[in-house]
Amino acid sequence: MPDSPSQPPQGAARIAGEADLVARTLSGERSAFGVLVERYAPQARRVARAVLGDPDEADDAAQDGFLSALVKLGQYDARRPFGPWLMRIVANAATDRRRRRQVRKVEPLDPGLVGGGPRPDTEAVRSELGERLRTALAELPARRRTAVVLFDVEGYSHAEIAEMLGIPEGTVRSEVFHARRRLRALLADWKGA
Amino acid sequence: MNDEKTFDHRPDPELGAALRRALDPPRGDQAAFVQRVMARYDGALAAATVPTWEVLAAWSRRGIALAAAAAILAGFLLGRALQTADAPETFDTAMAPASGQGGGLTALVTATDPPDASVVFASLVEQR
Repeated sequence: MPDSPSQPPQGAARIAGEADLVARTLSGERSAFGVLVERYAPQARRVARAVLGDPDEADDAAQDGFLSALVKLGQYDARRPFGPWLMRIVANAATDRRRRRQVRKVEPLDPGLVGGGPRPDTEAVRSELGERLRTALAELPARRRTAVVLFDVEGYSHAEIAEMLGIPEGTVRSEVFHARRRLRALLADWKGA
Repeated sequence: MNDEKTFDHRPDPELGAALRRALDPPRGDQAAFVQRVMARYDGALAAATVPTWEVLAAWSRRGIALAAAAAILAGFLLGRALQTADAPETFDTAMAPASGQGGGLTALVTATDPPDASVVFASLVEQR
């Protein structure tokens, strides 16, 4: 995963540290779960937003994902990284919300929603490139945009994404390829303008 | 960023950074989000640990009565179906004359000579 202040340490140390946090949570230490939420909140919110578009709905889905993970924490395999396990739950929570929304209204995702409406506190909303990217993402199929965000933004491997989304690894590669081609064309157009 | 990177199996930092900026929530509300999740910590655990017997106890009496009635009805229908299956109607029973008179069918089957058509017709009419 890319380095950032909010990201946990890499490799075995990360797995061990997170397994310890999970064990402490299971033994009733509430603050240990708080550390995990704090660590993964930005990532979970981005992934949910990639699936749903609307930032408020994405936050609801990310919250559902964290609480669902809390309830299922006993099922987590401490020998494996915590991030992919959690992101799978978050992506599922977001996908469930998207399905429910599609049942309520059949219209395609409104690109206007992707900007999150009138939220002047969002720096990215003010960015023209950000706006364009969100619109382009909204035009991609949900699985495709989720795959490219998990790969290029969150730094997960194709195999990890395949496990998260429950699809073959080859399909992940294909989804990332098609998403990149679309987004790259948009970026090139934006740079040339 | 060039098109070759489209095929690259490594993350593209430039595209990744642009997408991250586009999807990142506002900086200030990260703590608020964490607080929001943690505020539901106890509720989520409590909802997940409701014992099964409490769920069963929550069933209404009416639901239990309906389930019992459905079980009795199913038992009655099953018993009736088995009873009917035990007493199949045989060919002889079906073809025997209701009053026991005539013995037309028996005579027809046991006769050594081929039957006369009028006799066959008469035996059939006789049964009605």
